[in-house]
Amino acid sequence: MGTNTTVDYKKEYAGYWKVLIGLLILTAITLVQPGMFLTDYTFATQMLIGTIKAWMILMYYMHLKGEKLIIWFTWFSIFLVAYFFLLVGIDVANFQFGDVSHITSPAQ
Amino acid sequence: MSKTYFDETHCAIGHPKSTFWQWMLTIDHKRIGIMYAAVMFTFFFVAVLTALAMRFELYAPGAQYMDGDTFNQAFTLHGVIMVFLFIIPGIPAVFGNIVMPLMIGAKDVSFPRLNWFTFWLYIVGCLVALASLFNFNIQEGELLFNFADTGWTFYAPYSLNTGTNVITTLVAAFILGMASILTGLNFLVTIHRLRAPGMDFFKMPLFVWGIYATAWIQLLATPVVGITLILAMMEKFFGIGIFDPSKGGDPVLFQHLFWIYSHPAVYLMILPAFGIMSEIIPTFSRREVFGYRTIALSSASIAGIGYIVWGHHLFTSGMSDIAKTIFSFLTFFVAIPTGVKFYDWVATMYKGKIVLATPMLWALGTIVTFAIGGLTGVTIAMVGGDIHLQDTYYSVAHFHYAILGGVVFLLFAGLHYWFPLVTGKMYNETVAKLAFWMNFVGINLLWFPMFIAGYLGMPRRYFDYLPEFEIYHEVSFWGAIMLVSGLFIMFYNLIQGWRKGEAVGVNPWHATTLEWHMPTSPPPLENHTKVPYVDFNPYEYHHGEPVVKFDENMKRID
Amino acid sequence: MSHEYVPEIAVDREGKEHEVQGWQDDIYGGKLGFWLFMFTEVMMFGSMFLVLTYYFTLHHQDFLNASAGLNRTLGGTNTVVLLFSALTMGLGLLKMRAGDVKGAKLMIWATIFLALVFLGIKAVEWNAEIHHGIFLTLPALQAGNPDSLPFGQILFFGMYFTMTGLHGFHIIIGIGIMIWLLKRINAGKVRPDHHILHFNIALYWDLVHLIWVFVFPYFYMIGAGDIGGVAHGH
Repeated sequence: MGTNTTVDYKKEYAGYWKVLIGLLILTAITLVQPGMFLTDYTFATQMLIGTIKAWMILMYYMHLKGEKLIIWFTWFSIFLVAYFFLLVGIDVANFQFGDVSHITSPAQ
Repeated sequence: MSKTYFDETHCAIGHPKSTFWQWMLTIDHKRIGIMYAAVMFTFFFVAVLTALAMRFELYAPGAQYMDGDTFNQAFTLHGVIMVFLFIIPGIPAVFGNIVMPLMIGAKDVSFPRLNWFTFWLYIVGCLVALASLFNFNIQEGELLFNFADTGWTFYAPYSLNTGTNVITTLVAAFILGMASILTGLNFLVTIHRLRAPGMDFFKMPLFVWGIYATAWIQLLATPVVGITLILAMMEKFFGIGIFDPSKGGDPVLFQHLFWIYSHPAVYLMILPAFGIMSEIIPTFSRREVFGYRTIALSSASIAGIGYIVWGHHLFTSGMSDIAKTIFSFLTFFVAIPTGVKFYDWVATMYKGKIVLATPMLWALGTIVTFAIGGLTGVTIAMVGGDIHLQDTYYSVAHFHYAILGGVVFLLFAGLHYWFPLVTGKMYNETVAKLAFWMNFVGINLLWFPMFIAGYLGMPRRYFDYLPEFEIYHEVSFWGAIMLVSGLFIMFYNLIQGWRKGEAVGVNPWHATTLEWHMPTSPPPLENHTKVPYVDFNPYEYHHGEPVVKFDENMKRID
Repeated sequence: MSHEYVPEIAVDREGKEHEVQGWQDDIYGGKLGFWLFMFTEVMMFGSMFLVLTYYFTLHHQDFLNASAGLNRTLGGTNTVVLLFSALTMGLGLLKMRAGDVKGAKLMIWATIFLALVFLGIKAVEWNAEIHHGIFLTLPALQAGNPDSLPFGQILFFGMYFTMTGLHGFHIIIGIGIMIWLLKRINAGKVRPDHHILHFNIALYWDLVHLIWVFVFPYFYMIGAGDIGGVAHGH
């Protein structure tokens, strides 16, 4: 980026295409999964496939492979967001007023 | 001899000749910090006077000077200015900018032009906030005071249904939030990249640790409130329904999102302040700080724990019982690293040669007032206790002891400590001490009665009250008068000191950290003559005297 | 500030020299700063996903029903379009690093083209929804009138337009900064030996893609498959 070392053009070019093929395959799996497998767990499966795609994009397209500090920062941010989901999720999953709240049981 | 940064500067655009444009376009961190201070303290006084007006109104029950709606606008204005325009930019904007780069031996922050942009973004945010005060009626040519009346917390659904200028204020808060994020980003990269050679993380002064932990909160927590404000605007203008029960939306979700930012925000406020305490205590005890590593790591822990406890603001909102339990349990933990700091500071003073100069007085006073603020926080971290004390004067007293008696007092301590560095002069010590005592006695007279009033049932944000609470409001009023008088005296003394004070040398406190080893006071544009190699700890004292000495070319002579 | 930046040297007690990192010419600092900015975007979109998850929990079946009605063909096509645009952006950066400035510019143009295709398809999708009476402020997304959708569907579509709208806004900004990047390349300010700007803009585009990687399944795919006796959309 500044004082650059030599670029192994052929290798990196092939690398970009390999990741693309992988992402295309995962996209295809995303599209067929709800009709084909783990159909009772569509949401979780879809998020899992998305996470795998995200990992590939982060590591290869975004060049995180080989970084150290920035990977620590990334994990920290991910854990933070995950924690927000966990606690707010615990709250809403234990919603105490389901029977009487207008939100969940509107009077007809 | 180098020119001082008052004489010339680097600019974002071009090389202007006039002093005015040199300041308007400056990218120098020291000038930017001074400009932040000037604007912030102006708004601080507006908010203080607003609060004083409320205290006048609340002296006796019933309406005397304003009606209920105006009172609601008054406490909203007080909160919005104090939180978004003053205390959140706060110490990072002033001393993070002026002092932090000097402490690490840097010539500026990592992105000085971004720093310049960020300052002006802050100004735009302030202007939008000012615009939200009034509606201008073109036909009649009149100005109608229509500031928000929701409290600075802007809870839905009221905030989206009131006829007052809430949306404009939310826009202002969004812009100010962006400025906070960019400051945090700038400081994080600066601290990672621009430390002097040899200065690893555990050789940094503790103020830098405080700024570092704060910067993480600025960066990661603020976007959450940013998007909350955007979603509130989407709700208001497009009715997307997320905070509207009539469409299946839940107002408690607004509270979750709002406090996911606003709780870490209070740690954003206190961590730089604790950093200032960690600088002042060793200097005025003439001793190395006790437990450097634990103080440093406690800053990081407080930032981390601060992210995970926001639900204690929602104990009475309808949150599920299990969530309440979890949040209450976790909230207690933040007292541990905070306590560690307090014990370390007291241990630093033990067997030290205490110098009771004004900065040390402010620091010691804060140890008292913040201890009260922090400990009363623990009492309302208990769910059972909070059911009774939530939204009473008890909570209000708690956070004013913690923020005014913690953050603002330490900001004042920092003003007195770094005054000779920034101005090259000294203020009048006697007047400064008088101002401190007026502030210290004033804050206790003003806020301590409120713990009792709240415990006995006096609700917060109430315009009127039952006669049984009148005595507390009367005592508080006189405390407010004393506090405000102390503030005026303090600022007058500082301004006079800058204009006509006695000139002092570069290190009047004989402190050890790098900002005190400048060639001149105020420092020259390019900071240190030469960046030193740092193979020493930040607080090395021997028999009350600094160990590390430099000559005027930054060569070691100890 | 036209003078060349020369880093300062600090000397330790043994006389060894150490280069002082200045704020000028700090390439790693530029990269670090941009990653930190991207974390703020993650927090922002993460919070919106949090809102979505909150209501997916409270109004589970309504969400599945609303999702079933979205156009998976168009959404899926957009996913592939954005995927290829991430490739072209990455290849553009690779060519810049390898010295092929002309090829790099071509790839940036290709990325801009694919971004415009994405926006076009999104416009078609939104138009289809409007045609069905589903859009912000229309009666279907209001409460208490004969056309009102159930609560969960109102919230689903409210967040659908908000999040895809904000995502599209980021694509428009992306197109803008790619055009700016082309100008900087033409001015010689971005070159094979100094291209941190190009690197960061490629990172930005990857982030935009990353957000869509989660937006697409969350909105379009949760209601695919058998969700309990509801007729599927197209």
